[in-house]
Amino acid sequence: MTKIKDSNEPWKGGMAKNITFIVTKDCQLACKYCYLVGKNVKERMPWEVAKTFIDYVLDHETDPDFAYESVVWDFIGGEPFLEIELIDKICDYIKTELFRRNHHWFNSYRFSFSTNGINYHEKAVQDFIKKNREHLSIGITIDGTEKKHDLNRVYKITEKGSYKDVVKNIPLWLEQFPFGGTKVTISSADIPYITESVLHLYGLGIHEVNINVVFEDVWQEGDDLKFEEQLMQLADAIIDGGYYQDYSCSFFSELIGKPMDPERDNQNWCGAGKMLSVDAAGNLYPCTRFAQYSLRDKDAWIIGNIKDGIDKNKIRSFLTLDRVTQSPQKCLECEVASGCAWCQGENYDAAQTHTVFQRATAICLMHKARVRANNYYWNKLYRKLELEDLREQYEANKREVKPEIC
Amino acid sequence: MKKKVGQVTPEEKNEIQQLFERRNGLNELAKILKADNTELYEKLVKDMGETGTKFQGWWDRMAQKYQWESAENGNWEINFDTNEIYLVS
Amino acid sequence: MLQYLVIILDDTSVAYCHADNPLEERNLMPLETLKKGILFGMKQNLMIQYVFPDYALPEEYASIIESIDNVKIYPIGKKPDTGLNDESEADVEVAMDIPENVDAQNLVLRLSFSEMLKQKDEIVKLFAQGKRINLCITDVEQFADEQIEAYKQVLNEWNTALLDLYKQGQSPQFNLLTDRMMLEKMHNCEAGVSNITLAPNGKFYLCPAFYYDERMQVFNQMNHHQPSSDNSVGDLEKGLDIPNPQLLKLNYAPLCRKCDAYQCRRCLWLNRKLTWDLNTPSHQQCVMAHIERNASRDLLNDIRKVGEFMPEINIKEIDYLDPFDVRKEF
Repeated sequence: MTKIKDSNEPWKGGMAKNITFIVTKDCQLACKYCYLVGKNVKERMPWEVAKTFIDYVLDHETDPDFAYESVVWDFIGGEPFLEIELIDKICDYIKTELFRRNHHWFNSYRFSFSTNGINYHEKAVQDFIKKNREHLSIGITIDGTEKKHDLNRVYKITEKGSYKDVVKNIPLWLEQFPFGGTKVTISSADIPYITESVLHLYGLGIHEVNINVVFEDVWQEGDDLKFEEQLMQLADAIIDGGYYQDYSCSFFSELIGKPMDPERDNQNWCGAGKMLSVDAAGNLYPCTRFAQYSLRDKDAWIIGNIKDGIDKNKIRSFLTLDRVTQSPQKCLECEVASGCAWCQGENYDAAQTHTVFQRATAICLMHKARVRANNYYWNKLYRKLELEDLREQYEANKREVKPEIC
Repeated sequence: MKKKVGQVTPEEKNEIQQLFERRNGLNELAKILKADNTELYEKLVKDMGETGTKFQGWWDRMAQKYQWESAENGNWEINFDTNEIYLVS
Repeated sequence: MLQYLVIILDDTSVAYCHADNPLEERNLMPLETLKKGILFGMKQNLMIQYVFPDYALPEEYASIIESIDNVKIYPIGKKPDTGLNDESEADVEVAMDIPENVDAQNLVLRLSFSEMLKQKDEIVKLFAQGKRINLCITDVEQFADEQIEAYKQVLNEWNTALLDLYKQGQSPQFNLLTDRMMLEKMHNCEAGVSNITLAPNGKFYLCPAFYYDERMQVFNQMNHHQPSSDNSVGDLEKGLDIPNPQLLKLNYAPLCRKCDAYQCRRCLWLNRKLTWDLNTPSHQQCVMAHIERNASRDLLNDIRKVGEFMPEINIKEIDYLDPFDVRKEF
């Protein structure tokens, strides 16, 4: 008998060391909600920087900062596939060095990409995918319907929408990554299009839609009520259309909307500090969100460089962060706190002082609206299943949507 | 058709998962390693042989231990998240 | 709760803690500012601590300075002449070298780590003078793990000298070794919490070091993009305005709130300089404080071999020097 494996769950449950190459700060698009305020065409990572960084990381195999069973080598931009030749060279070098050094990560690594999908079909990208197929995780970002997508995801000079150039690559992507999920970002202007967009993505064959509201303070008065209304429409559509059986939308989760215990539920949301990012200049960051091109008001939080290594004092605050210390009283007393996320980079950028210990709460009302719609969703779904005598069967087979930890 | 026929322990799962990952890694490394890199190439060839043997050995050992149901032209597969073994025919 | 107002009388006032004062040009606090500062202190019920420069202030300052009960911090041998002889028990002399004589009851001795090692035997001689000795290491940020054994050794040597004094019935006070023996809870610098600093420009700062940094345009970040244009936390006109004040408190410092190196300075300025977060101590500060804590434990145990001493104090044995290394146990 031939033996094969079967798994479509997130790789290593998010417990791997995440190492990110900011290969370029250039992108074909100028998405209106993009948090990368400092994109440019100049900062492309030279090969020597990438190589020195890889050597640094692999030389420190036994250091506690790298003592993880597995590793995810993440490539980010701008648009990472603009640098496919460099990426190809980096990945070849990583594979060869892991093997040559008998590094334990040779048995447990992934290359991960989040792309706008525009040049996904190009030969260089496709050759790379074929070469590394078993170790790849690629997500294409498509925001929903053409109208919703093109509202934000526009080319940088012409401001033309990018939907048509992305959607043509979705079938190829899903053929290669049938369990591929997409990431949808919601800003104030996008709220009216949420329902139709999620259904549209399901229609394209994308089974997993990870969706979140932006953390920045962009919300208008009344947005929360509009948001709630959209999510309830979406709930109706998913339940009435039977999508809940094979599709998921991260807005709806049974884990959200509960009070949180200050001691038992005190862990930080974000993995900044446990992750490591490098940019074209060879500077190291606790997460890409702390690089200068991601920050509006604060200086980059550089924790070292590829020559001198990590200044461990600069990651101490990240590694001691907990939920209670950084949260304002209203969050600690919140009756629906669970599932309310934060981004450490946005916290830092929006903080009154130079700290990562001040939680930004711009999404407060949006989270509460989500919780109300979420409660509606589960009450309606379970009642339907009970009436159809299908609840037990659903419980046994349901896809668990885990809160997406950044 | 897919039918659950058994389950292995987490330790047993870890063993085959590591071998599975290593085998994939070796296969993809083989695509880029040139024969003129003699030392590394020979190391790769040797490792591929050893890993393949260990991989097959695991299934043989487990099949012997658990006496899973089998079928002609069928495959066993393992779910790395649940440690369950399925017969796919 | 605020208890102390530190008034820096001049830009060249003596540095008395970890940070050096790099300001070289005299810039005396205007009389009006001084008066307003004193008034602020009176209204807030704060004890005033004046920090003096090494030159004599103009005569008209004396009566203003003495218009309220105060503590004086001044350079060694430069006792301010304010026309009054009501020397406070809490007055502090500050030295950058081992002094011949100490007038005040308190001496702050500011030395680099290497100078401290070099002058360890001279420092011992200070213990017997009946003064409180505060040894302040001025290059904590340079402390490397390779120096741990040297620090342990010098503290051990000082323990021997202090033990002899205890045996003779004296009660020497040396911050690095005897403070922890007396403490049942954290007793740190508490800048911005129990004390606040008024600078000659009429603005408040968490401590003098933040004023020096602002004046010197020391950029508060490694990548030096933005100067720290304003470190002040209010002024005499508008009052105190400390952003994120909760982060100055012990409960908001994950590494410190369960730590029992109670004598640690918990220097906010060093925290910001080395970790960039006011509430997060550096590896260096933690390690040095724990070496001191452990040496205090040894001293306490040795004194107890001679007779009963501070029975309510219990310093348990620990196997780490940096609480960061055992943070999961928190």
